Amino acid sequence: MLNYLIKRILWMIPMLIGISLISFFIMHLAPGDITSNESAFNPKASEESRQKLRELYNLDKPIIVQYGLWLKRIVQLDFGSSFASHQRPVLWEKKDENGNIKPGLIQKALPITLLINLLTILLIFSISILLGTIAAIKKNKIPDRMITLFVFIGFAIPGFWLALILMYSLGVVNQVLPISGLHSIGYEQMSKLAQILDLLKHLALPVFISCLSGLAGISLYVRNGMIEILNQDFIKTARAKGLYEKKVIFVHTLKNALLPLITILGLSIPGLIGGSVIAESIFAIPGMGKLFYDAVLMRDFPVVMGILTIGSILTLLGNLIADLAYAWADPRIRRGLAK
Amino acid sequence: MHKFLALLIISLVVGCNNNQNIDNNNYDDPTLPESGGALTNAMIGEPNNLIAMIAGDSASSAIAGQIFNSLLKYDENLGFEGDLADSWTISDDYKKITFNLKQDIKWADDEPFTCQDVLFTWKKVTDPDTRTPYGSDYQLVSSASCANNHIFIAEYDEPYAPALETWASLHILPEHLLKNENINDTYFSLNPTGSNYYALDEWTTGQQVKLKTNPNSIHGRPLLEKKITRIIPDLSSQFMELIAGNIDLMNINPIQYSRVFPSRSELNDKINLYKEMGNGYTYFGFNLKKKPFDDVNIRKAISYAIDKEEIINGVLLGLGEEITSPYKPGTYWENKSINKISFDVSRSRELLEKSGYQLNANNIYEKDGKPLAFEILTNQNKQREMTAVLIQRRLQDIGIDVSIRVIEWASFVNRFIKTGEFEAVVLGWSLSLDPDQYSIWHSSQQGPGQFNFIGYNNPRVDTLLENGRKELNNEKRKQIYDEFSKIIYDEQPIIYLYAGYGLTAIHKKIKGVKKITPPAGVFHNDYEWYIPKKFRRNEMSL
Repeated sequence: MLNYLIKRILWMIPMLIGISLISFFIMHLAPGDITSNESAFNPKASEESRQKLRELYNLDKPIIVQYGLWLKRIVQLDFGSSFASHQRPVLWEKKDENGNIKPGLIQKALPITLLINLLTILLIFSISILLGTIAAIKKNKIPDRMITLFVFIGFAIPGFWLALILMYSLGVVNQVLPISGLHSIGYEQMSKLAQILDLLKHLALPVFISCLSGLAGISLYVRNGMIEILNQDFIKTARAKGLYEKKVIFVHTLKNALLPLITILGLSIPGLIGGSVIAESIFAIPGMGKLFYDAVLMRDFPVVMGILTIGSILTLLGNLIADLAYAWADPRIRRGLAK
Repeated sequence: MHKFLALLIISLVVGCNNNQNIDNNNYDDPTLPESGGALTNAMIGEPNNLIAMIAGDSASSAIAGQIFNSLLKYDENLGFEGDLADSWTISDDYKKITFNLKQDIKWADDEPFTCQDVLFTWKKVTDPDTRTPYGSDYQLVSSASCANNHIFIAEYDEPYAPALETWASLHILPEHLLKNENINDTYFSLNPTGSNYYALDEWTTGQQVKLKTNPNSIHGRPLLEKKITRIIPDLSSQFMELIAGNIDLMNINPIQYSRVFPSRSELNDKINLYKEMGNGYTYFGFNLKKKPFDDVNIRKAISYAIDKEEIINGVLLGLGEEITSPYKPGTYWENKSINKISFDVSRSRELLEKSGYQLNANNIYEKDGKPLAFEILTNQNKQREMTAVLIQRRLQDIGIDVSIRVIEWASFVNRFIKTGEFEAVVLGWSLSLDPDQYSIWHSSQQGPGQFNFIGYNNPRVDTLLENGRKELNNEKRKQIYDEFSKIIYDEQPIIYLYAGYGLTAIHKKIKGVKKITPPAGVFHNDYEWYIPKKFRRNEMSL
């Protein structure tokens, strides 16, 4: 088991180098660099000064040299500073000689995105398991059909559209929820409890919208898994020996049907740090999606690479955790690994 | 489940039919100016860096402009007036400008402002190690010096007419705080100390920038105590925040201006709309180095075939103007004597035939077996895309085969513009306040990354642009640029399409906004704006 773990972790190193190399080259395939943003078409900004900027950022060097420089920094866990004119550190805050702290870009954006995604996943899984179970028990009856219809409507509705409709009806017309942003004005003066309530109010719509599209997949997964297991002989045996239906469903069936969800959970770990650009723009939430999208448009290479690197590390870790969790939960697989 | 769905549907339907939250305030009641209160504004992007010479994005300049002063500024009619300078004189040979700086003024941290600060700023903007794209204008200053603490002198080798404009756009930075700092990544850019009406109060990354009044403001205290700028990237969200009363003003688009507001009287009870000439124009440009665009008749034929009025009505819902020179309509530098090329199909056909084109069997003009066909390139900008489509249709009607390609900005610039691999573009330039157009039209400015990328080359225009830069007498200068404008319009190297209006919606609780917007724009007198106490939000933070 330990050998297996060490092997898997060691394998991650060449994989990471491969991923970063490919990302780095693909990123540079897109035409343009940081100097071709807005100021590129300002007649007051001369081409010489832009060339000078390119030299300052080493953008005039061959790509392989640039990659080497990047790799050299990254092994020291230095993600560098953004090319954008604020020069903020990509990952974590840095202190200058006077003790002033420049906050890191990912450091600021990640907690917000994580919070939203964790809430979303929690909701998706709990609602989906509930809906999937009901649908499986009432297979092909009206509740099953209604649930399928509902989750597919949720899946098919364009999120941005529904978001705008809800913002309008709940934020403008009825004013029960805030329209956009993370905090109300005057947030700093609120009590701790009021602050949490304020934050939750602001997060209600974004989380609801991102939940809606995720329900379909997971609930159908649960439903089909349940149906498959309900048809198996051991369930028949359980029923035959007169177990309560509740016990049959929740202990014997559900437990088995949930096993594959572990893989899905593991695979959703890297998704935790990715935000939706559209939702973040509409709701004015300064999360990872917008950060990444803007960095790509600006050709802000250190930020793009920073997010990609963290994303790939999390993907590889997520796979590993999923496999381990699977082994932990399912004795059949655990024995296979031990051999 | 049924219940839930039904509830959802009912709440949406009922919600939309419900009346707006009843707002019983009568915002038209007369009030007297009183200070205090907070103005809440929205922006689509977060400022990068509050040192404007480094920043380069419009959000940064908008915030930094409230914190810093330049030597000069524009008055409401777009003439110059003193900002940090009280007055200025220009020597008879036009090579020396002497600024008499305001005396006894202080930075927000109580340190005195002196000429050394100006000199320091000039040194920084021209320093090769400073990461600014704007250095070139200031490198023309051959020597800058302080005669004493209150007299700053800038000397030029050659007269440079746009010089005053350059001194109106350089924010003066405090030497005492920056002399030991690396200006490129100093913390000062996130927490600046300035001299203008406002100082930074609090900046919540990604969410909002809050400004408070600067007690040492060199122009005295503004009436509004705080200015909060929320960062809301989506314009529909901004609009909802506006009608819900959570933000007090925003820039709106033509659809909101002429469709939404007229159809909803309850909005007009609490929000005023303002219209002013915008800061840029949209044009249709040719690659003059490619055939057949080197032929002035072809360019004119295309110009006659495009219905500019239709574009203004279709794309801007009529909220724009045709222009004939690259200057703001109604300002001093506009050449008013130019006759517009208006939509005229027969004139267009005449010109095409004069150049040897004949209609072929497919109703497309061709010459020597080659059909008249080209591609219009533009970037992802809704208005420009719609414009290109309207042009395509008109040219199709006349017999010119046009396709459209829409590309992301950085690719657009690097793959097509810099390499010169385009045939025609729909793009925009700003309507500059100084008439100098050297970097866009002079034949020497055609290198990769330079702005005469359409390849315009006319020796007479070169001479005019060179002379215009050296002429500081406004009347003589006007003659030069009138001739320049006329030549450009006669030759149609680009077809001016429209200059759109800037549209602003401001909540009626904001008082003191000028009814008739001056040329300098609706925000010009925002230090006189105020919010009467009874209309203020209940803001605990104030």
